[in-house]
Amino acid sequence: MSLNPDIAESTKFSEQQLAEYVINATQEVFSTMVMMEPSDDFPLKDPITHFKCSITGMVGFAGTYSGVISMHCPIVLAKKVTAAMLGMSEDEVADGGEDLNDAIGEIANMLGGSVKMILSKGGLDVKLSIPTVIAGEDYTVNSLSDIDCVVIPFTVDNERFLVGLTLKKED
Amino acid sequence: MANILIVDDSSTMRKIISRSLRQAGLPIDDILEAGDGIEGINALQTSGKTINLILSDINMPNMDGLEFVKAVRANGYTMPIVMITTEGGEDVIADALASGAKDSIKKPFTPEQLGEKLGGLL
Repeated sequence: MSLNPDIAESTKFSEQQLAEYVINATQEVFSTMVMMEPSDDFPLKDPITHFKCSITGMVGFAGTYSGVISMHCPIVLAKKVTAAMLGMSEDEVADGGEDLNDAIGEIANMLGGSVKMILSKGGLDVKLSIPTVIAGEDYTVNSLSDIDCVVIPFTVDNERFLVGLTLKKED
Repeated sequence: MANILIVDDSSTMRKIISRSLRQAGLPIDDILEAGDGIEGINALQTSGKTINLILSDINMPNMDGLEFVKAVRANGYTMPIVMITTEGGEDVIADALASGAKDSIKKPFTPEQLGEKLGGLL
């Protein structure tokens, strides 16, 4: 299986390219599986690493490309998203419960799958990790690398969430 | 009215698929769930219901989707199996089709897309 030829030619990603991947993947996943239509905003100038009362879902890429895609979401919004995904009421979604963690992990997994399919037509050049979910009242997420990175804010139901993508083409 | 078996290690995905099947307006009697291929085979053998269609994930612990398709056919079941995948790996899907799966659908999907894919199989 071959890499997407246009992408394979470039060794470095522009912010616009990464932003496009994030926006397309996020809007596709939310409109189909969550039944919500988030609106995107301009990429953040500096990544946000410190979160309060939030939940983060992330999936790593390895292979021809390495990196991570992550979604950071306030718990209040995450419960709305989970309820919409699973056909439940918000009251049925428990803080820190399995449904909440699984739903955010599954969204991260689908975001990773969408970006992977953009990068690799056959799907074999890039592998996805198992989703990881972190939640808490006060936590920090840091990427210990200076590889290409973009963070896009989205708004839905008057709440903001972030989707970040760091990506590097391996030599 | 059809009985459908969903085989996926994510309980969240099973709920989403189940919700989507209902929303798609398909003629469904019952939806059964299994967390991996082994549970899927057990469901076929012990549920006491005629399963008319199987929706199966590919990446699962214990018995993955590819092994599950082979096991279903080896046990003599002939109902259509549709593979559900996040990544759409062409080689894996080709292997699944060669092993006896009928079709595949890539996540994310809308209930309408699921209905279009499955409507002709029920």
